[in-house]
Amino acid sequence: MILLQSHSRFLLQTLTNRVQNLEKGAELDCHWVEFDDVRYHLQASMKNLHILLLSVSLPAPPPETIFFGGLPFGAIEAIKAAYGGLVQILDPPRDGFNLTLKLNLSKLPPNEEKKQAFLVKVASVREVVLGAPLRVILKHLASRTVAPDMDQLVALVHRQNESFFLVPQVDKVTVVYPMRFNDSIDIVLATSFLQEFVEARRAAGLNNAPPCLWSPSPPLELKGAPADALSANAGFVTIVIFPRHVEGKKLDRTVWNLSTFHAYVSYHVKCSEGFMHTRMRRRVESLIQALDRARPDLENSKTTVNSRSFKRLSLKDSRSNSTS
Amino acid sequence: MDPASRPAVVIDNGTGYTKMGFAGNVEPCFMVPTVVALNESFLNQSRSTSKANLLAQHSAGVMADLDFFIGEEAFSKSRSSSIYNLSYPIRHGQVDNWDAMERFWQQSIFNYLRCDPEDHYFLLTESPLTAPESREYTGEIMFETFNVPGLYIAVNSVLALAAGYTASKCEMTGVVVDVGDGAAHVVPVADGYVIGSSIKSIPIAGKDVTLFIQQLMRERGENVPPEDSFEVARKVKEMYCYTCSDIVKEFNKHDKEPSKYIKQWRGIKPKTGAPYSCDIGYERFLGPEVFFNPEIYSSEFTTPLPAVIDKCIQSAPIDTRRALYKNIVLSGGSTMFKDFHRRLQRDVKKIVDARVLASESRLGGEIKAHPVEVNVVSHPIQRFAVWFGGSVLASTPEFYSACHTKAEYEEYGASICRTNPVFKGMY
Repeated sequence: MILLQSHSRFLLQTLTNRVQNLEKGAELDCHWVEFDDVRYHLQASMKNLHILLLSVSLPAPPPETIFFGGLPFGAIEAIKAAYGGLVQILDPPRDGFNLTLKLNLSKLPPNEEKKQAFLVKVASVREVVLGAPLRVILKHLASRTVAPDMDQLVALVHRQNESFFLVPQVDKVTVVYPMRFNDSIDIVLATSFLQEFVEARRAAGLNNAPPCLWSPSPPLELKGAPADALSANAGFVTIVIFPRHVEGKKLDRTVWNLSTFHAYVSYHVKCSEGFMHTRMRRRVESLIQALDRARPDLENSKTTVNSRSFKRLSLKDSRSNSTS
Repeated sequence: MDPASRPAVVIDNGTGYTKMGFAGNVEPCFMVPTVVALNESFLNQSRSTSKANLLAQHSAGVMADLDFFIGEEAFSKSRSSSIYNLSYPIRHGQVDNWDAMERFWQQSIFNYLRCDPEDHYFLLTESPLTAPESREYTGEIMFETFNVPGLYIAVNSVLALAAGYTASKCEMTGVVVDVGDGAAHVVPVADGYVIGSSIKSIPIAGKDVTLFIQQLMRERGENVPPEDSFEVARKVKEMYCYTCSDIVKEFNKHDKEPSKYIKQWRGIKPKTGAPYSCDIGYERFLGPEVFFNPEIYSSEFTTPLPAVIDKCIQSAPIDTRRALYKNIVLSGGSTMFKDFHRRLQRDVKKIVDARVLASESRLGGEIKAHPVEVNVVSHPIQRFAVWFGGSVLASTPEFYSACHTKAEYEEYGASICRTNPVFKGMY
């Protein structure tokens, strides 16, 4: 796996199971947490087997981002556009969550393919909600306009109390990520990973990929950003998105990949640590083998000169040795 | 935000299936076969000297590092293409291949549970016979590779007992009969502490039942393609097997009413795509019977499971024995056969009663013993009872203080995981 998928695997599995065995449905009450502190809660009662309640809580937004009623701007419209009448937004949401959706499974489209596509869409609720503001900006880019009443610098929530920044322009959108890691080894690995990442973009096959830059100090685009958003221990990544990257079907993927960039880097940092350990283990094994080869064999050592001389130290042995 | 405010991740790696999910739930999120499909075609290529080729090989090697699958996906990948090799990281309940195990964990965390390991405490399980070194290795991988904030390695039999604890409100004393796919143990636990010296292990486990069924079907000449026969035997075991009370009676029943007892298996040959069907007969009850009459399967091990349980309890300290007989808990997928617990209870009871009777006749009937209560407990979640116990344990507030933390690991190293407190009981 190189890229993270946009749908929650568990949610999709549960929904598919539920739809296939709609009559046998049992009570359901489970909660789980995804990377960057997105919490889910799924509930179904015996009273009405077709109704599912899906609650989502989002990472706590930093002060510079725009949130309306606990959701990023444009989220409600995005949910309505994505799910239509099959999903109802409950107001107010359940305690401790930002959003509660009511799914009615009896209204699903009868066509198997469409049904599956809809379930995948529900399972990607995170992309729909958290990616909503990004989608609005990129849609404007696709039509080569700038959204009205938009600031020069837009901050969007990325992780718990962390944000990334966008500079929307008519012909391009510049995205800047301040990268932060907790562990000192992770910082080093992430820094070199990001430098490799920028380097790899220069390869011949990737001419059409969005240009990206890495710098240890805040780039000029972040001039107006609040001071605490400018501290980053693994540098800043700048990615420039052109209209060709958000045409048609590419939009969904671009939105997902941009809004989970930190998780992507963190996943690859963990992977590289794992593979370094694999290599280290292999090396240790080969060194141990070499050591084992160097050790004299135990059976042969009895007949070596060394052991005979050691035996001679005792009087009795020396006598028996001389008689033999 | 403090990781302790998020639910802990509970992963129970078994020989056959891995159960994983978040603490506080009733069911694990995923139950996937513990298998990794690796693409090793890049690693075995001969080294060439030209620089461009080296670079290509390097990037191909990097890609190959990420090119692997776990669980059901691994099976389907290895079936559809020949460049993937299947590797089973756990054998007989012990981790065998740490590289594959690390990859398996990586995929479980990032692709299945999709969580950031830095955000969650982890609870992993081990068998009671795990070596301290392997516990250290687990700790090293978890803390070094995944940077987990805290780790607890629990003994699976204690967890199985903890699962029963919430279901029926009995004490943490009991015998856990844990029959998984690759290993089977009988583990006495007193007040939450494992009585290490009395653990008995049996060389017959779920895989042997599958192999026995495969052998029976092959000997009868059933029309099953050889490359599929193990999988078919496993499915037959999971879907049709049951425990009988008496083999002879069961044979008679089958012979009298074959239409009622003999089932049909239909499949498609993987090579040619042609459909086939075969009969499933005596193996339905003979499969589970290997636990009660092992001599029908192997000539080396002939002690039936009830006798092993009895021996295990008899070797435990005398003041715990009554409590142990009272609470014999089943766990693991291979105890799921219908009526398995009834048969086990009857057989253990028979052994105990015979002994009580013998001692009474020896004493000449002067002293009457209190009857010994024998109770085999089974619950509906037996298949993932260990996971459920882990989920219960990890959702208590004390769990976070019992964990090994990242700070401790950095201070003392992997040796903090070496000992497990549940073995430091009074015995």
